[in-house]
Amino acid sequence: MANTITIDPVTRIEGHSKITIYMDDQGAVTDARFHVTQFRGFEKFCEGRPFYEMPALTARTCGICPVSHLVASAKACDELMAVRIPETAVKLRKIINLSQLIQSHALSFFHLSSPDLLLGMDADPNSRNILGLLKSHPEAARDGIALRKFGQSVIERLAGKRIHPAWVVPGGVSRPLTAELRDEILEEIPPMLEIAQRSLETFQGLYEGFEREIETFANFPSLFMGLVTDNDNLEHYDGKLRVVDANRNIVHAGIHPASYQEFIAEAVEPDSYLKSPYYRKIGYPDGLYRVGPLARLNVCERCGTPLADEALRTFRRLSPGAVLSSFHYHYARLIEIIYGLEKTRDLLREPDILDAHVRAHAEPNRFEGVGMSEAPRGMLLHHYRIDEQGLISWSNLIIATGHNNLAMNRGITQAAKAFVKGDKLEEGALNRVEAVIRCYDPCLSCSTHAIGQMPLLIELRNGNNVLDRKHRG
Amino acid sequence: MAAKRTRKPKLAVWKFASCDGCQLSLLDCEDELLAVTGQVDIAYFPEASREYIRGPYDLSLVEGSITTPHDAERIHKIRRQSKVLVTIGACATAGGIQALRNFGDVKEFTRLVYPSPQFIETLKKSTAIADHVFVDFELRGCPISKEQLVEVINAYLHGRKPAVPTHSVCVECKRRGTACVMVASGIPCMGPVTQAGCGALCPAYNRGCYGCFGPMETPNTPAASGAFSRLGMNEDGIIRTYRSFNAYAEAFRRESERHEPTNH
Repeated sequence: MANTITIDPVTRIEGHSKITIYMDDQGAVTDARFHVTQFRGFEKFCEGRPFYEMPALTARTCGICPVSHLVASAKACDELMAVRIPETAVKLRKIINLSQLIQSHALSFFHLSSPDLLLGMDADPNSRNILGLLKSHPEAARDGIALRKFGQSVIERLAGKRIHPAWVVPGGVSRPLTAELRDEILEEIPPMLEIAQRSLETFQGLYEGFEREIETFANFPSLFMGLVTDNDNLEHYDGKLRVVDANRNIVHAGIHPASYQEFIAEAVEPDSYLKSPYYRKIGYPDGLYRVGPLARLNVCERCGTPLADEALRTFRRLSPGAVLSSFHYHYARLIEIIYGLEKTRDLLREPDILDAHVRAHAEPNRFEGVGMSEAPRGMLLHHYRIDEQGLISWSNLIIATGHNNLAMNRGITQAAKAFVKGDKLEEGALNRVEAVIRCYDPCLSCSTHAIGQMPLLIELRNGNNVLDRKHRG
Repeated sequence: MAAKRTRKPKLAVWKFASCDGCQLSLLDCEDELLAVTGQVDIAYFPEASREYIRGPYDLSLVEGSITTPHDAERIHKIRRQSKVLVTIGACATAGGIQALRNFGDVKEFTRLVYPSPQFIETLKKSTAIADHVFVDFELRGCPISKEQLVEVINAYLHGRKPAVPTHSVCVECKRRGTACVMVASGIPCMGPVTQAGCGALCPAYNRGCYGCFGPMETPNTPAASGAFSRLGMNEDGIIRTYRSFNAYAEAFRRESERHEPTNH
């Protein structure tokens, strides 16, 4: 294949991503590919480090969801120590994980995607960003900033800092919650819930204007994968991995995290650096699955909190089976923000939440451990092996953006077929193809698209001939 | 002397190899963000086209380390377009956590990680921005402190030097009233050789500092290592302690190399 992109093997991305759209001789789109690397260089330089350093080291893979890495990593370390961590520590870890979910979803929805939704896909790209939104729709922009601030400030107050905090440790957390902080956060929740519900209403009102996008933004049958509790409620910290098909029939009721390798395989395509995970029992490529907010709402039976469950009932009316259009990732994110706020409130009201015993101490007692949790973008897995000294001898990280790789490629192909015409790249078409990627909110777009545009190279090709090329960022 | 402003200053943010946490610190200035939009023109990741750097910029904030030949060229273009260039975070100021590969063989990394390593174009080392171009100010931290970032932006927009301390984390522990974790609890702590900026966070949580802000001004690293070994840390442990987020910052790199078996 003629395209080559430069990939930095150690950290996440080299600086730009690339979409290639292939045309046939009649000028019709035949295929489209999204290229981005994963974070996996970490797996090499973590070798030889003591296992207890892993939460702090792996948190550095990502400045957007460091808490997700902390949680998955600490859970893998709990397994290595073979401890059951104190119940209060579980609850506190759940709270910080939900705060992460709220702030990340708020960033994705308000800062990154709402400019498309409120100003339109064809709006002037110079004002189609959060700063433009502050001028044209100040209330929506301020709502987004307030929600993100809430999530980030809960993380900061619990863990000391917002990005790369060190409070979540193997065996639990390093400091208990104080009554003052609990009351402070509890007081802040009701106005945040108001914002989240108001935003959901606004979003529902906008739906009619996006029928074509809903129809063509990665709208296809696939499997969905996500954590659920023992009674099949929405879950982000613990539980079992449930798989459903496009009709919401259960494909697997609950995979134990430690046995993930029996169910998830990774295909390597000759023309891409990215591995494509698929559901092993069904095979490649039909075993394509999606993870993240949309997948989680499709796999669970209920959220387990009143306002989120009410919103989920309305969401279910979109489709008799699973909700298939990736455009609805946005919708799912807003419901999860509501859930996150309600669940945080419920956890804070638990009688043992102020308990001082929040950490189990132990030497390593097992040579292998798997930690699985739901990051904002989907299932995140850390898998470590250690030697006799407790030093990491092997590790594997499976990251949400990687799970969705196959689905993202299929999604941009579908959108390109619908919106790219002839041999020129028009701004509106370009933005729609990009917006498909934003539905999945891969770390890449989330981070680099923060305020401006996603640094991106888009090429339109016929065989080896480049018909048109646009470079941003 | 404050020259009369006829236009708003132009601010740009650039990203190299990094986790994005530092530039997100800018977004974390929620309330300040609202104010800042009125004071400066933010040309983040400017509208591209093929000549994708269009300046000049009054202030460029650069996040991330240089890891590819393309980036090594790109940083020169950015420097030429920037009146003041400030690097933010451990990646930009010291090569970041990915500089851990500087101590090994990079080909081994790519082979392990990618199925077709021949496509990967990468430099042998992950290096700080200042190794490539002149940098006006280096803001440390993994990630940077939001308050220090606001101070730096403010200072440069008003033509003064930022007031960012270069003393050790120990001073922050004293100010905070935290008992020394090394003296009181025998926990190895990088605080005595690490620059302040985090507010001495880890010791307040009864952990040793692990050096997020890089070496302080003139650190006495051999003395710190001596204290670590008296607390029972072996040579491998000492090497690892210096090799984390600021592994390639000169003072930390030298000290870690001093403890490698061949250098005894």
